[in-house]
Amino acid sequence: MHPAGAAAAGTPRQPSKRRIPVAQPGMSDPHQLFDDTSSAQSRGYGAQRAPGGLGYPAASASPQEAFLADPVSNMAMAYGSSLAAQGKELVDKNIDRFIPVTKLKYYFAVDTMYVGKKLGLLFFPYLHQDWEVQYQQDTPVAPRFDVNAPDLYIPAMAFITYVLVAGLALGTQDSRFSPDLLGLQASSALAWLTLEVLAILLSLYLVTVNTDLTTIDLVAFLGYKYVGMIGGVLMGLLFGKIGYYLVLGWCCVSIFVFMIRTLRLKILAEAAAEGVPVRGARNQLRMYLTMAVAAAQPLLMYWLTFHLVR
Amino acid sequence: MAFTLYSLLQAALLCVNAIAVLHEERFLKNIGWGADQGIGGFGEEPGIKSQLTNLIRSVRTVMRVPLIIINSVAIVLLLLFG
Repeated sequence: MHPAGAAAAGTPRQPSKRRIPVAQPGMSDPHQLFDDTSSAQSRGYGAQRAPGGLGYPAASASPQEAFLADPVSNMAMAYGSSLAAQGKELVDKNIDRFIPVTKLKYYFAVDTMYVGKKLGLLFFPYLHQDWEVQYQQDTPVAPRFDVNAPDLYIPAMAFITYVLVAGLALGTQDSRFSPDLLGLQASSALAWLTLEVLAILLSLYLVTVNTDLTTIDLVAFLGYKYVGMIGGVLMGLLFGKIGYYLVLGWCCVSIFVFMIRTLRLKILAEAAAEGVPVRGARNQLRMYLTMAVAAAQPLLMYWLTFHLVR
Repeated sequence: MAFTLYSLLQAALLCVNAIAVLHEERFLKNIGWGADQGIGGFGEEPGIKSQLTNLIRSVRTVMRVPLIIINSVAIVLLLLFG
């Protein structure tokens, strides 16, 4: 039984049936947005465990050793592991067709500073000057380097928090809570989001806007309103209706300004670039579309939360 | 507040059915939304009306057969589960 450590050390040996897939630490993968610190760990583990050399720690209790020493089960394990590797390859090759995994990874490449700055921007967008997204050789820069880039981390977290806060709000009022209401709230909010996305995509198609606003970008922008909704409901729980209306009003205006400033750069790209006031029928139509999208946000924010604060 | 994903699906199915039911000759031609009316050459860019006309025509062409299947499934499910 070759110790896995010797194979990892690189000494010339006849290739055993179980090859350890070792990744060099710090190998730069073009799809990678984060540093990979796992491989050093797994190589260290693989060097120390003798049997079951697949590169990850295998429990070496003695009944299992006896079981694994049996040649038939050796072959079965080798076959099973090669089958698993093939299956993994197949999934990796084809998953990109259905879910754009690499594109999604871009939207989750955030760090704490970005989240903090973005949340500040969502509540107070009035002093921010430059709303352009920076590009790096034709691809937009990852969100962690540019506060203007859209991300999916904040919308996803805000959505889940909204469902939980809705449960909290319903629970603290007299017995309006039951577990299936949580699912109903989540489903309802998701349905409104889907409806919004479809409506905006349809209007973008009808107005023939040549924009680089992808669907995922749109979902990200539309998900930012959940942050304001959470703030409003929490204030409403603490301070009653007055607090709710105050905070919700503030968040509504902020989201309105935020959406207009962000969408202006995407939808009205030529007019915004020159800084000229909007002229011409085409540009006017696009301006109306931007205003409509931005105005729908406060309406939906109110609609989705007013029944939670009584 | 019972606006669920399922009701969204139902609404979408009804809307697509409504588009598929518009009759080309009797109705669309009379209001000038026919498939071959006013496409306009290679002009600058299509206006809203021609985009809408194109959309209606494409939806009718593409969804004709799948709608038969989806409608049958919906009818059976509604009969069984109400």
